[in-house]
Formats: sequence, C-alpha cells, structure tokens
Amino acid sequence: MKQLVAGLVIGLTLSVPAFAETLVVYSAGPKPLSDQLAKGFKAKSGIDVEMFQSTAGKIMARYQAEKSNPHADVMISASWGHAITLDQEGDLLAYTSPNAANVPASLKTSSYVAQGAAALAIAYNPKSGVPTPQHWADLALPEYRDQVTMPDPAKSGSALTLVQGLVTLDADKAWNLFDQLAANDVLVPGANKAALNPVLQGAKSVVFGAVDYIVIDAKQKGENIEVVYPSEGTVLAPRPVMIMKSSQHQDAAKQFVDYLLSDEGQQLVAEQYILPARTDIQAKRPGWNDLKIIDFDAGEAAAQAAETQSKFAEIMAAK
Amino acid sequence: MTAVALPARSSGQTRSIRPLLLGLAALIMLTLVGLPVLAILLYALFPHINEWSLAEPFSVLLPNLANPHLIGATLNSLSLSLSVTLLSAAIALPLAYRRAQLPESSGRIWDALLMLPFLIPPYIGALSWMQLLQVNGFSEQLLGFNLASFLYSFPGIVTVMALHLFPMIYLATSKAFAVIGRRYGDVGRVFGGSTLQIFTRIHLPMVLPTLLSSGLIVFVLTIEEFGTPEILGSRFGFRVIVTSIHEKLSDWPIDLPGASVLSIILILIAFAAYRLHQRLANRFSAAIDNQQVDAAGTERTGRQRLIDLLLFGSAFFLAVMLPLLTITASSLLDTLSGGLTLANMSLKHLSGLFDLDSEAWGAISTSFGLALAAALCSVLIAILVAFTVVRLRTRGTALLDFLSILPNAIPGMAIAVGLILTWNQPFWPVTPYNSSAILLVAYICLTLPYPIRMLSAALKQLPQSLDDAAYISGASEARVILRILAPLLAPVALAAGFIVFAISTRELVSSLMLAPPGVQTVATYVFHQFDQGSINAGMAMSLVTILVSGSIILLGQRLPGAKIR
Repeated sequence: MKQLVAGLVIGLTLSVPAFAETLVVYSAGPKPLSDQLAKGFKAKSGIDVEMFQSTAGKIMARYQAEKSNPHADVMISASWGHAITLDQEGDLLAYTSPNAANVPASLKTSSYVAQGAAALAIAYNPKSGVPTPQHWADLALPEYRDQVTMPDPAKSGSALTLVQGLVTLDADKAWNLFDQLAANDVLVPGANKAALNPVLQGAKSVVFGAVDYIVIDAKQKGENIEVVYPSEGTVLAPRPVMIMKSSQHQDAAKQFVDYLLSDEGQQLVAEQYILPARTDIQAKRPGWNDLKIIDFDAGEAAAQAAETQSKFAEIMAAK
Repeated sequence: MTAVALPARSSGQTRSIRPLLLGLAALIMLTLVGLPVLAILLYALFPHINEWSLAEPFSVLLPNLANPHLIGATLNSLSLSLSVTLLSAAIALPLAYRRAQLPESSGRIWDALLMLPFLIPPYIGALSWMQLLQVNGFSEQLLGFNLASFLYSFPGIVTVMALHLFPMIYLATSKAFAVIGRRYGDVGRVFGGSTLQIFTRIHLPMVLPTLLSSGLIVFVLTIEEFGTPEILGSRFGFRVIVTSIHEKLSDWPIDLPGASVLSIILILIAFAAYRLHQRLANRFSAAIDNQQVDAAGTERTGRQRLIDLLLFGSAFFLAVMLPLLTITASSLLDTLSGGLTLANMSLKHLSGLFDLDSEAWGAISTSFGLALAAALCSVLIAILVAFTVVRLRTRGTALLDFLSILPNAIPGMAIAVGLILTWNQPFWPVTPYNSSAILLVAYICLTLPYPIRMLSAALKQLPQSLDDAAYISGASEARVILRILAPLLAPVALAAGFIVFAISTRELVSSLMLAPPGVQTVATYVFHQFDQGSINAGMAMSLVTILVSGSIILLGQRLPGAKIR
C-alpha cells in the first residue's frame, strides 16, 4: 500500500514537467497578433506561451479574482489606465527592456511599456452622403444631426483618452463641443465596436473617436469606411505590456517583453495596422510623423478619470 | 447508520438510501452552486477576499447601495422581467393549449421547431433584430420600412426577449396540458361550458403550477439577461441592474466587490420571486392522480386546423425564421457596408470556417464536447435533486430547491468570478480551474436550473401513489427511481438535456472569463470576431452552430426514449 502511494506521488510529480518553462500571458486585442507573438517567441526562445485571450476588462477581472493564487506572468491590455492602476497598487515588476530605447518617453515608464498604440480618429461611411468631416467640431454641425456615434468613455479606454485629450487642449471648448454633440443627437451606444457597426451598416454615418487600426483593417477587407485625423490633433490609446510582480517566471517574462519590442515583434504589431511603439519601425498606416498627437499627463488624467466620465455621462443624459 | 436510528417502518432497510440521496444531492448542489454563490456573498462583504484577506469589511456595501442610479435600475429590472414574463405567458399559453389538440406527429414537429429559439444566443438575436429593423437595415433595404423607434423602446426590448424566452413556458405547459388530457374538458363541454369557460375554469387552474414555475424561470432569466438590454437598451438609456454589474466587472475601474454587492440585489429579487411562486403554487397545486393517456389527436374542423397553422406558423416565423434568416443573410454578406445586394453576396465567411487549419473546428468540437458532457451531468444531477426535493420533503430540501434556481438569477459573469474565487485556491488538492473542466463546471452550474425545474415539475405531476404502490410491493428507493420514475421522466429529461446542450454550446460571458489559456469555444470565437474581426464571420459561425446543434436536437427527438407518450 505504501509503495502504491509512493508510486502515485512520484508519478504525479513527474507528470508536471518542471523544466519545460511555460509563460502565461493574458492579452487583449487582435487574436491573430497574440497567436503570432506566442509562436514567434517560442521559436526564438524555446519557451511555451499559454495565451489567455479576452477583452481588456475581462483580463483585469480575471486577474483581480485570481489574486490569492495568481497565474499571469505578463499582461497586455488595450487600456493604459489598467497599467496605471496596477502600478499604483504595486503589482508590477520594474523592468526596462533594452529594446525600448526607441519608444517615446510618453509610452514607457519604469514598470510598463507600450507594445503599440491606436490613434483616435473620425471614421465615416462615404456611401452615406454626408460631407467629409475635417475637424472634431464639424460633427456638431446640422449636416451630421442624428448621424454621429461615439464610443462611451465609460466603456472604452480609448474614448476616455480622447475626451481627456480634447479637454487638455481646451477644456471650455471641449465640454462645449460635447454639449453640442449631445444636442446634435449623437449616439453613445457602448464600446468601440458598438459605435462602429451602425456606421458600417448604414444606420449612422460617422464615428467620433474610432480606434483607427480596426477601421483601417475593415477598409482593407473592402468595407466602405474612411479615416480622418483632424488637424487640431488627436490622442493615442497605447497598449501597455506589464510583467506581474507575482510571476514565477520573471526572466522568461522579461525575454518576452524584449521580444515584443524586437524588430520582429514590432513588425507583427505593424501587420495589424497598429502603430508600433518604436518610432524606428515602419508603420503600415499613418505613422509617428504623420499624426499630430495631443500631449497630456496620462497619470493626472487617470486620477480624474471618474470625474471626467461622470461629467460626460451627465451631458449625454441631459439631451 | 444503524437500524435503530431509522423510523420504525417495515421496509427500514431498503429505505436507508434516503439519507444517502439527500446527502449526495446536498453535497453536489453546495459544491456546484453553493460555493461560488457564497464566494460572491463574501466578496461583497470583504472586498479583499480575493487576496485571502478580511481587511476593510463592509466598506463597499453602503457606497454601492447608496448609488442614486440604483433604484432606477432596480425598477427597470423588475418591470422588464415582469413584462417579459407576462408577454411570454401570453404567447405561450394559447400555443400550449392548442398543442394538446394537435395530432402527435405534427405536434412533435412544432415542439422541436419552437425549441430553436434556445439555440440562438440572446446577443446574436438582439444583433440580428437590430440588423433587420434598424434605419437602413434589411427590412428597409428590401421592403422600404424600418422599425427602429419600436426596437429601441421598452416594448421593443420586451418583445425581443419574450420571443426568445416564451418556448420555456410553452414546452412546460404543453406537457402539463397533455397530462391533464381532454376528459376534464369534455366533461365541462357536456355540462354546457363554453370554450373560454372550460379554458379559464378547468384547464388554466390545472396547469397553473407549471405555468408559475416556468414563469419563474423566465422571470429570473430576464433579470439576469445581459445581451439584449445591453445591445438594445443602451440605445435609449435603459439601464438595468445587470448592465451595471457588467460595467463594474469589465469597465475601468474594475470593481469586483461592487459587482458582488449588486449581484446580491439580484439574489434577493430572485428569492422574493421564488417565495411568491411558492405561495401561489401551494394555493393552486393540482394533483392529477389518474393520469390521462389519451389517444392522440382530436377531430379538428378545417377552420380549427387553419387557426392552429396560423397560430404556430406565426410564432415560428417571428421567433425563429426572422432571426435565423437575418443571421443567414449576414453570414452571406461579404462586407457589412455593402448591404443586402447580390454583388455583396459571398460564401467566404462560411467556407472560411471549414478551412482545415481554421480555429473554428477546434472551437466547435470543444463546445460540443463540453455541451454534451454538461447535458449529461446536469440531467443526472437534476434527477437526483428533483427526487430529493419533491419526494423526500425533509428539512433542507427547501434550501436545495432555492439553490437550484440561483444560477439563473446571478449574471454569468458574476458566477464566473465566484467560480474563480472558489476553485483558484491553493488548498484544493485537485481543481478544475485552469483546465477545460472549469468550463464544464460553469456550464453545469449555469444550466442546472432548467433540468431541475422541468424535472421537479414533471415529478410533481406523477402521483405519489405510483411510488407507494411500488414500496408496498417491496421495491427499494433505487428501484423506484430507476424502474418507475426514470422511464416516466425520460421524455422530460431528454428535453431538459437538449436545453442544457443548446445553452452550453453558446454560453458566452463565463466562457470569456474562465476558458483556460489557449482554449476557444464557439461563443468566444464569435465574440472575438465581433470584437476585432468581422461581424459577418461571427454570424457565419453562429449559423453553423445553430444548424448543427439544431440537427442534433431533431435527431434526439427521434430517440426511442423520447416516444414514451
């Protein structure tokens, strides 16, 4: 009997491969990108990647619920705010990748770095017959009445960033614009896709604050949709990469971050029409030199995020 | 357990299986449902329980409950659920009543066809209604009108949800009408009762217990349903509790304890509904001790046939054909913006699914395997629980009964959080977490209410005298269950298994949270297509899944076990 138990114990321990290292990555965003990164990293380093693919919110929820027994080594979110929160809570491992040298200062801190970024833009359906919009404020004009959608800053981190950016640029003008948009019957139906779909389907005509790479991707697939970057400037929605302090595979995690920021990793990001974080990588879409980015303090904006969200919600509810 | 401890009954030995059954049922229910619900409760009280700490107890309760929007959301939830339940009953009752008069052959076809709405995931259903009825939607492109203002309104949401949920009441009450048989109605007719009188005075009271219990399911399902209120309600600022819960679960800043607090409100509402249902059901309980086994089919006049055809046909058209046609059309469109034109038709989204290296196959086989296992486990557990609750009636069975409805009342995503909190603890020697088994656990937990409700309702209608006769003849409990009750319950068990199967193949929110790294289900595949890829590809996948699981159910209807009555 004792031998049987001993045998079972040995069998069980052996069945857990102790040496073949596996990295657990929680990732939001395009699934093909995650799959390619996992494959590429395995080829480079021999380390297996288990990828949990979901939305940024569900990744965070899973991470929070797992806190007493964490599994994630690396997380890639679509929302910079998530990284700020986790960093404040002291959950992130400090690491600066040598490959991050060409990442602009606004897209890296000592404990997290952007993999790439989306820019926020106006997307419009040329079949809909509305005039081509040039500026954010155009969408408050009567021609666009009942034709505009906007992702909800409460549900879309990127839409929140846009509101924050426009408010930083000129607070009075920005809030005034949102008042006018509300009066112009803008539709705020939910997250990014919920705002884009009615425009693709022809129920509405223009998105105020579309995530550009999704629109460019749709256009490449033959959809009638065009992207406009207003000349007064736009904001970036960077995708933060974080190594968790609780990780048992910190060396492998650092290698993975290095890989994400390597030429190869950044090329894969570029393939998805996302703006690569490194300025020396050629983007397959309007790149670092083509965009006018509104510069603002992401940390301060995050501290005021709840206030910004509720002010926006009040304006939209008041129409 | 010694013989002394048993009640002094002649067949004491054979009955010793009772405590075992009760214990087993309680153990299973507490593990599958009790633990995750307990975890949610604890999370609401101790916001750091996820870090295994009791710090700052009760600190999130008041701030969440004091939220000024909460009262409005609660009232919206209640009025939505009540309206959907009433409309579902209004649609289902005439159908169920007429079903008993149909010849068995065509009746079974209608039964199967009206089960199809279960196969359409609510969020896909809502999206397809939108695509059909919105401005420049399919109806406007083909027929020149849109119903956007109706769709994005309270009556619009109620209609969409009722069209999706009424089969729940139809399937249950039509079985009840069949059990009553026609004799009572014939007696009423002989004494000069009008059709309406016979329906309201004789038949309705007799099916009331079934109506109430299936209505209860529809009520709590509506309270918990996320997809439709989120997709349609967000268009006109209609917020319910479950949309607030989801905001806390998935929008920055993530607030899991806050979501748990709001989940408790849903649990309380479900509890109140359950108690009300109990009181009503007790008042109207109608035992039919001599079960009727009528020869199938009555003489229907030509006019009646036409009316029946119109009745069933229009229900089928609205609840099944319209959404399915829309889904089919979407999956055949090359681009979303291209509209419903011949030039925009393409098989690429459908054929893309059948590429040998496509992930779609993996997702389909994962989902179907899990759904099959879930159906089997859920039904077996449900037979055990239903027997314990209905037949044993000892202390604690009321708790079991209430536990059995809870998973319907709590949003799937909150259950998922509860399951992570429960099964992600290092102290478990083995845990389903981080393997596909956690999805099976989640599906069983989320679907258990259906087979338990359906089987206990059916069991209540089987006269106790059947069991007693067997006991007197010296049969053991196991023998009574296996040889008498099980065969009689087989058709209901099969129908319940199909529902579990259908719902598991398309379960979304908990799959998105719980799927272990690298595992995809049909629903997560569809969701990723909607989120980052193309809606039309997602619709193509939905269509294939609906068709495949639909055919499995149709085939299952032909199983010998399904033909008892």
